[in-house]
Amino acid sequence: MKKFLLATSMLIATAFGADAKTINILMEGVPDTRYVQEMLPEFKEKTGIDVQLEVVNYAEMHTKLVPQLVSPEGSYDVLIVDFYWVGEFIKAGWLQPLDERIAADGIDTNRYIPSIMNLTGKVDGVTYMLPFYNYAMGLTYRTDLLADPKHQEAFKAKYGRDLKVPTEWQEYLDQVKYFTEDAGIEGFKGVVNQGLRPDPIAMEWSNYLFARGGRYYDPETWQPTLATPEGIQALVDYRDNIQKYGPIGAANFSFDDAFNVAAQGKAYSYLTFNMFRPVYDDPASSQVVGKMEITPVPGGSLNGSWGWAIPTSSPDADAAWEFIKFIESPEIAKKRAALGGAATQAAIFDDPDLIAKYSYYPQLKQLLQTSHNFPVFTYTPQFVEVLGRELSLAVTDGKDPKEALETVDREFAEMLRKDGKLQ
Amino acid sequence: MTAIERRDQRFGLLMSAPGLLALMLVVLFPVFFTLWTSTSDFTLLKPSNDAFVGLAHYARAFQSNEFLHALSVTLWFVLAVVLLEFLIGFAAALALDKVEHGKTFYYVVLLFPLLMNPVVVGLIWRMFLHPTLGIVNYLLSLANLGPVDWLGNPANAFWTVVLVDIWHQVSFMVVLLLAGLSALPKEPYEAARLEGAGTLRCFFWLTLPLMRPVIVVTLLIRLIFAVKTYDIVYIMTRGGPGQATDLVSYFIYRQAFVGLDISQASAMAVILLMAVLLLTAWLHRYMRSLAA
Repeated sequence: MKKFLLATSMLIATAFGADAKTINILMEGVPDTRYVQEMLPEFKEKTGIDVQLEVVNYAEMHTKLVPQLVSPEGSYDVLIVDFYWVGEFIKAGWLQPLDERIAADGIDTNRYIPSIMNLTGKVDGVTYMLPFYNYAMGLTYRTDLLADPKHQEAFKAKYGRDLKVPTEWQEYLDQVKYFTEDAGIEGFKGVVNQGLRPDPIAMEWSNYLFARGGRYYDPETWQPTLATPEGIQALVDYRDNIQKYGPIGAANFSFDDAFNVAAQGKAYSYLTFNMFRPVYDDPASSQVVGKMEITPVPGGSLNGSWGWAIPTSSPDADAAWEFIKFIESPEIAKKRAALGGAATQAAIFDDPDLIAKYSYYPQLKQLLQTSHNFPVFTYTPQFVEVLGRELSLAVTDGKDPKEALETVDREFAEMLRKDGKLQ
Repeated sequence: MTAIERRDQRFGLLMSAPGLLALMLVVLFPVFFTLWTSTSDFTLLKPSNDAFVGLAHYARAFQSNEFLHALSVTLWFVLAVVLLEFLIGFAAALALDKVEHGKTFYYVVLLFPLLMNPVVVGLIWRMFLHPTLGIVNYLLSLANLGPVDWLGNPANAFWTVVLVDIWHQVSFMVVLLLAGLSALPKEPYEAARLEGAGTLRCFFWLTLPLMRPVIVVTLLIRLIFAVKTYDIVYIMTRGGPGQATDLVSYFIYRQAFVGLDISQASAMAVILLMAVLLLTAWLHRYMRSLAA
């Protein structure tokens, strides 16, 4: 009887022991999370580890994560980190360095596109994350209108240049003006913008800044450089596009509001996150199936990405690493990309199977390779707030662009000093 | 006090002690912790209350133009929603008070918006008010009106948020005021009618004075809730366009969770708490004076 009881207890203990191998991850409710979910049975089969995903919207993520990260033992084994938070998380010591694990498993991080690895991979030479998915921005535009001989003729007559995929910023601005004022399409606009503060406007305007040759700061000294002729002209361009050439209300559009306008065929162009490109071809959400394409913003797009990390407070860091290794293995990364995931590994964009499925992959690769990074430091989210506020004031409340950007520079410099970046 | 009374008192204290203790833990402890935090240097990057900074965060709050602006936007917002909701709510309550049949149906219809989560309200109205694809501008276009830029223009955005808040919260006023109206004694009205008083005279000389305590309580509760408004602005405008709808609760949230500065946010929250407490105390005294 005793033996029977002992055997039963051991069986129960083993069963509970197996059940205990579960890792928890907080994720954002985006398509790439769905593609990760689809890989979980394969991970379970390979490692016996269960993965529980807690999916919330972006706005809730930071508020939910921070209390877990502050405590010595949190409830999340793996984190996904937006590039916004990288500076803050590193400064607070919330992420584990991954270099030893990477070396032990012989993982080559050169497989990632360098600009993305710099954004959500390495910080000051230490690898804290492996890139998860990218959300670099690009210029989406109507291919059918560019190919229309009537518009080609009228555009050339007015602007003295061919109507084609824009490769120069002024060329794009001329197209925006043409499709708003001269194309003769009722209720149609040359551009739709996402002017909601803080992130949508700050992210979108960054592309205008890069297009005009402006930069956020001097890379040598971290001295802010927004209130320069380039920055001011970028803000004037942005204000004109919203006020003169865009639909009413764009000054408060989030990215989904603006996307819907473009997807309903009411605007020639929308400068947005590249992950929206496949959605234009989904008849359930779009009236412009097969008519939209993406290209890098002339002058360089804004980069954006998320990375996988292991928090210092992770209850099971080894199991967490097993998961990151699996989900970022080239084989699984390709499977996720095939489902529609926004890839970060360079080889995926050269894969013939995937190019056959996604014809825009070559443009996307170029877009990612030439994109520029947003300033990453401890107070990036706070900086986005300030930038969003001032841009919105300039666009909607008559604030002088120069004055608005001088305010941003001043507050940006204060944050950089507090962070020890600017002397 | 007799021995029995003393025993009863002790028993009463014993019975209420758990409740009072729980109340202290969930109400007083957070308030005192916030006060303490507001005088230290607690940030999410360095989560400890070990550095005492006195009233520095309070001084910084009053020097912050953005905080003062948020306070002023909140003041206008509270005035607008409380007054308009009161006027609409009182009119609706007076009308409903006379209804003989189907009162329950009207109650359900009126309470429906109030039962909805503010986030859902914000999302629904954001869709309805989309200037290009929303139903409101479409309906206006059928009458050759519009299109109206509901949320993209600073002046419109403030009033749009006020209107959405009214849609969401006005039934709260209706329900409380209707309860007050139903409880009014009938005799003074019968006497007034016999003396030949008309509807307007009855309203100004009987209903309003008799309803005054209910009105004050209703306004007070609604005012406190209005100061805390956060969700609708977060969903609909994020404080924009520009700074047109930057309410103070949302501003304080950003200080804490975007700026990571819990101490600064605590100081601002304490300032807001003091303002609301002063207002509450004034209204309470006013009520007592009416009762006297």
